[in-house]
Amino acid sequence: MRKTLTALALAALLPAGAALADNDDNDCSVARSQWQPRDAVLQVAQDNGWTVRDFEIDDGCYEIEGRDSDGRMVEVKLDPATLRVIEMEYEDDDDRGGTRNPSPAGTVSPPQNGLFGNGTPPQVQVN
Amino acid sequence: MKSLLATLALTTALTLPNLAMARPVTLTTTLNNYGGDGAYLALYVTDASGAYVGSLWMAGDKSKYYEHLTDWYRATGGDAAEVNGITGASVGAGRTLEITLDLADALFDAGYTLHIDAAVEDMRDSPNEVSVPLTTEDAGTLARGRRYIANFAYDM
Repeated sequence: MRKTLTALALAALLPAGAALADNDDNDCSVARSQWQPRDAVLQVAQDNGWTVRDFEIDDGCYEIEGRDSDGRMVEVKLDPATLRVIEMEYEDDDDRGGTRNPSPAGTVSPPQNGLFGNGTPPQVQVN
Repeated sequence: MKSLLATLALTTALTLPNLAMARPVTLTTTLNNYGGDGAYLALYVTDASGAYVGSLWMAGDKSKYYEHLTDWYRATGGDAAEVNGITGASVGAGRTLEITLDLADALFDAGYTLHIDAAVEDMRDSPNEVSVPLTTEDAGTLARGRRYIANFAYDM
């Protein structure tokens, strides 16, 4: 719910025609020559009171992972040219209903979907 | 001694029917060196009419990315409960994921198809990379993937 409100609030800030409904619209496509330097991004983070833990490029956008001024884990996508916030996602939203992560193998029995035998836990390895 | 034999006979008789209903099946998926982050993979089964029956494995533990496994997501609505207890880490490029599951015998030679959807961060989504009929005859046969998966096989 909070994520929806955040998205709505951000959508209101965007110019007409821009849409946030589809995830692909959160990608950036900006020519390299127009990109702001890394320091400018870190300045935006500082201005907003974000503590930067990780800083990378994702879907053509700058992406910051860290904590907001309230200490909440946050992932922020910025347009590399304008440094405008494109998406702001709180990591703990995953635990607030709706989009829970599944239980890892071995912690609970496989689902009762008729495909599995007697609930023996899966054996998995990656080589 | 006699009672031991009787016990053995009884436990064997009780155990065998269970063994006949399910068997360990190993699903082996080898990825290409596509040069990207770890791949999310959804392994799931459809019936003869193409309807989703259930999931066998989810490689990738963050449900917020499941929308990129597009066919699986469309069938399940992204419900994480579909993959509770059958979820592990995403799989790196060039690596081989080997899962052994206790699968119902009724799954084989009954018109079911196993599918794999794949997705990699910053790269194109690849639904239905692999689609193989579940038959005892095809066990051990390598199926080729299209984008991120080099090949896949199931063995029993």
